This record gives sequence, C-alpha cells and structure tokens, in this order.
Amino acid sequence: METRRDALKIIGAIGATCSFPFSANELYAQHVHQAEGHPAAQPWSGPKFFTPDQFAVISRLSDLIIPETDTPGALGAGVPQYIDLAVSEEQKLRKVFTDGLPKLEKKSKAKFGSTFLEATKEQQIELLEALSITAEREKTRKPEKRSKDTQFFDAIKSLTADGYYTSKVGLIDELGYDGNAALASFPVASIPEH
Amino acid sequence: MSKRVFDVCIVGSGAGGGTLAAHLARAGVDVVVVEGGPTVNTRTDFNTHALPFDYANRHIPTMKGGKPGFTSERTRGVGGKTMLWNAVALRLSHRDLKGYTIDGAGADWPIDYADLAPYYDKIESEIGVCGNRDGLEDLPDGIYLPPVALKEGDLLLQQGARELNIPIIQTRKATLTRARNTRPACHYCGNCMAGCDVAAKYNSADVHMTPAMKTGHLTIIPNAVVSEVTVSPENRVTGVRYIHRVNHEEGEVQARCVTVACACVQSIALLLMSKSRLYRDGLANSSGQLGRHFIPHFNSGVEGFLTKRIGQKPTNDEGFIDHAYLPSYMHARKRDYARSFGIQIYTGIRRTAGWARLMPGFGERYKQSVKQRFPAYVNFQCFGEMIPNKQSYVTLHKSKKDRYGLPEPHVHAVQEGNERKIYDDMNRAAVAILEKAGGEVLSVSHFNEPIFNHQLGGCRMGDDPKSSVLDKFCKAHDLPNLYVVDGSVFPSASEKNPTLTIMALAARTAEHISDRLRKGEM
Repeated sequence: METRRDALKIIGAIGATCSFPFSANELYAQHVHQAEGHPAAQPWSGPKFFTPDQFAVISRLSDLIIPETDTPGALGAGVPQYIDLAVSEEQKLRKVFTDGLPKLEKKSKAKFGSTFLEATKEQQIELLEALSITAEREKTRKPEKRSKDTQFFDAIKSLTADGYYTSKVGLIDELGYDGNAALASFPVASIPEH
Repeated sequence: MSKRVFDVCIVGSGAGGGTLAAHLARAGVDVVVVEGGPTVNTRTDFNTHALPFDYANRHIPTMKGGKPGFTSERTRGVGGKTMLWNAVALRLSHRDLKGYTIDGAGADWPIDYADLAPYYDKIESEIGVCGNRDGLEDLPDGIYLPPVALKEGDLLLQQGARELNIPIIQTRKATLTRARNTRPACHYCGNCMAGCDVAAKYNSADVHMTPAMKTGHLTIIPNAVVSEVTVSPENRVTGVRYIHRVNHEEGEVQARCVTVACACVQSIALLLMSKSRLYRDGLANSSGQLGRHFIPHFNSGVEGFLTKRIGQKPTNDEGFIDHAYLPSYMHARKRDYARSFGIQIYTGIRRTAGWARLMPGFGERYKQSVKQRFPAYVNFQCFGEMIPNKQSYVTLHKSKKDRYGLPEPHVHAVQEGNERKIYDDMNRAAVAILEKAGGEVLSVSHFNEPIFNHQLGGCRMGDDPKSSVLDKFCKAHDLPNLYVVDGSVFPSASEKNPTLTIMALAARTAEHISDRLRKGEM
C-alpha cells in the first residue's frame, strides 16, 4: 500500500485515495511531499541545480522536444526552469543528468567536432533522433533495464512534457483545456458521425 | 476531560464513524467521536480550484496555505477519507456476499443481501446517490437521484462494448444531481477529489455529523490520535486513551461501548497495539485472526485514444470525473478463475496530460500529435477482487514508530494465481472494448507491479469465533461492548467500491447498539 501512495503524486484534482495507477498521471520521477508545493509567483533567480552551460543545453533540448509553433514551445512556457527545479528536488534524476549531459557532449564532439550548443540545429536533431529511436526500441523493457541513453532521453523528454502540459501555455493555449468551471447541468452527448 | 461517561465512543469520523455517530445521536444515544486529525471547513480550507501552474513544482497542495488537514499519507481529519473520495457508491450483491458458497473460494459473509438492503435504502435516501436502475443481477439497484449523462467518449465505448455483449452503465455516485436541504447540486467542475467545496459530493462531516450536532447528543474531539482501547479486568472495554496531534498531551475518554472505525489498516493496528493482561496479542484477538485475511482491491489499467475524437476541438466535458462504469458481468461467462472485476471508465478532457510523455518522438509532429489526442484520451481503471491468502496480512512494525511513538502498521499483500487471471482478463476486456470502439492502445499495466486500492479485510465478520474477529453485527466475539465498522470487517471484498457498504453496515450497527443500550445490555 505504501508503495502506491509513495509512487502516486498526482497532478490536478486527482487525489491519492482512489485514482490512477499509471506513471502517465504522476509527475515524472518527482517525490516531492505534497505539502511542499511552491507558489509559482516567486521570481526566478537562476538555476538551482544545473550550471549555466548545462542549463543552456537543457533549454535547447526542451526547445527541440516541444518547439514553438502557433503557440509558444517549451522555452516560452518556462519549461527549463521547471526541469531545473524538479531535478534539484530529486536525487535519482540528478545522476541521470550528471551522467547523461557529458555523454551527449562527447557524442557531439566525436560526430561533429563541436559542442552540442555549437552544432547546427540539424545536427542536434540527429543526436536527439538517435536517442529517441533507441528509447522507442527499449520501451517494453523495465525502466531499470533500459540503457543509459534511454534513461537520459526518457528523463529530458518526460520532464519537458510534464513541464509543458502543466503550464498555462501548454494546458490552456496549446491543448485548449476548458474545464475547472461551473456548469448548470452536464450536457447530453451524442455519438459523433464521421 | 471530566469523568463523563459517554454511551458510545467512536474512533474515527469517516464513512463508518461519521455515519454511525449521526445515526446513534439521532436515536438519542450520547456519542463522542475521537478523531486523529483537525476539523476542516470544506467551504474554505481545501485548495479545490487550483491548477498545476499555480505552483512552480506543479504539485497542488490539498489544503490552502496554513490550513491543517489532509496533507500526510495517512490522512487524518474530521470527515476522514470521505473528504477526498471519488464517491462511487455501489451495492454489493448476493453473489458478492456468498462467494464461497457460489464458487468455493474465499469466505461468505455472515449476512446476506436481504440483511443489508434496508440499510442501503436508508443511506441512499439520506445522503443522495445518483444513478440509473439498470436491472443487473450483479449490481443491485438502489434509490437514486437522476444519473449524470455519459460523455461522448463513454457512448463510443458503450457502443463498442455492446458488440462484445459487455455492459457499460452510468456510474453511481454519492453526489447530488438535484439540490437537497442545504446542499446544492453538482456543478461539474471536475474537482471532486480535491475536496468538494460545496458538499454536493457526500462527506461525513457536512452530511452526517454537522446536522447531527443539533441533537445535542454528539461530541467531536478532533486532533486526538487514539493510542489504546482500554479494557477492564471484567473483560469490558471502558474507553480510549489518546495523544493530542499537536501538543502530544495525553487524554482519555470513558464510554459504555467503543467502536473502532479509523480506516481498515489503522483500525487493525489500534486493536493490535491495545495489549493488556487479557489480550496479550491485541484486543479482541483471542482467535489470532486479527490482521489476517487482508484483501485490498488490486488495480490494473489500460489507456488509449478514441479515433473518432482525435483532432476534435476540446469542450468542457470534465464533469464529475468518471461517468461510466463497467459492472461485473463475469458470472454469466465461462472463466477459469473465481470472482470478478469492475472497471471505472474515464473519458473527456482532464487537467493533466501526463500520458504525453509516453507518445513517441519529439518536435513539431510530436506536439501536434499530443494536441490532437487530448480530447480523445481514455483510461480504464480496473478493480479486481482478491481471495484471502496466508501471505497477506497486517501486523505492527517491529521497529518503525510514528511521530507519536506508536508502532507503524506493516502491510503484507501478495497476489497469486487467481488474482493474475483476473488481472489479465480485465485488461483484456478493456483493450477489446477500446479496439471495438475504434481506438489506439497507449499503455497496458503489468501484473508484476501490483497496485492496491481500497484497504479491506483483516478484522473480518463471521459466525465462527475461531475464524473471525467480529460477529454478524460487527461486535467483537471476545467482548460484549467493542465494535468495528470500516473496510476491515469485510470477509470478502467483491470488486465493488466499498464505501456505501461501510455506511450501510454503520447504520445497521447503530440500530443494534442503540437497541442493546436500551435493553441495558451495556
């Protein structure tokens, strides 16, 4: 029982008493005690965990994962700041990044002779694409059986997705979430035709 | 406290304790409720309407800043878990109560549906339950307010299920769909489990205890963590001792009768730690059965997308979360396991898209793909019934203590072959329905990481004092004036959400206790 309670940190209105058993409904790898929610209004004073260089790489990666389209992307939604906060609060994630970021730099050097940030957008996408393909191939493995590359990709992608789709930009502007509002009655639906 | 002796002392104030307290007070019995947590004002104290982006780390605290209440894992507070429950309110059937007789596994209840039915009637009438009278053998109908309409996604799944001859019905919840007394009807904001701040959803504080205070027979002592149920050398319980939640001062309450109703595992733990000369292995445990036959529900789940809804413009169909329910239908099917399962079905928009991280790829196409699927997401939450086994039980932890110095409960729960068969079958059913309805499967949960929900059993009712702790009125076999009313008393779990049954048992026990008090038996 305890494991379930520990594992489930559910966002939104879904409480911990009777809800969803999926990773997809909890914030990725965050084990922050519920009472420690921080008001979002505090001004940001630079990264808590990443060095400025690392933070620039995290920002670039999140921008590649969710780019700006007709709505802002990860950068416009403050996702890098969220990732920094989440990683600073979660020991297991820190290791994934302290291992994964130098490895990414090494690959960039070996392949393109430049740092990740100096590489062209196409080259950056190429590096990320390789990780994404490996991750997709290892999807059915248990998390602890996945390669270091996949763990790194899972972490940066999951944190980006979480941070983006829980932001106002992601949830309201991009997805069009329209709930949390009072209705006089619940509308009667019908089966769509097409 | 003075030397006042109450008629009945109830430990805990949730579905069991709160219902029992109100019913006894209304019958003129002097009741004291001793609750480990603080009093919470549902109208002002819950963070009901917050959204994740109000918080930098996207965790929404349950309580508003500075308000004490439901913040810890072991939720305590006046109203108990009814403050945050999802309100699914189902009756057990004859089949659920007589499972051993019917398929030879687990245990029968010492009572049958006819014994419970009048109390289900009573509870539904007084708290307000919405639903449809579906006429199903496995899920008896009750007294209902009008049901809430199914969402578009539910209708698609219902259509798919119909082709497989599987029923999907409108869910039954203890949420008002019509205003009643001081409570308004539900306004479908989707915040049920964040603490309904208008009490359209049932909670035991606003619906049962507060109105019962007017009788003058109900006293509530909040912030009092009970550490022991005391027993006299004459083998009668005499009251409880407690530790103040904040200042840790000790106190006691005396009563002619004690009812333990502080949620399954904690009730078992309280009895186990109430050791005395007469009961060295825990109160009411002469049989050694206390803590055994622990049978929580186990959960599986399937998520995916309905093709017809991919790319639709989202509308506000969040509603009161899940509107559709797949009731047990397996009695009519050939199967290689005992018991059954039920599925809560979630469709429509939600304020979370955690599933987005499971979608493949990245970049513009990924972003587009998530957006299109937002209104199309479906989630099947499956609940299976566990058969009791020797490895599943509750004890006290040998070394771990809580902040009051009380031993932590130690929960052991192991699923075996029958559970695995149910687990696989309920996921299979969910996938089949989704595919028939026209959809994509995103993820299917795995048996090797079981998730338990709804703590049940461990202090079961039964006719035989050697194999059960309580009799058919939830009274301890060992003592004349000790009762237990919560999920721990269930001899078999059924697959159905237990709260309505806990409340019906509480109403029945209230009648029994007040009769005995009147006859001078306590």
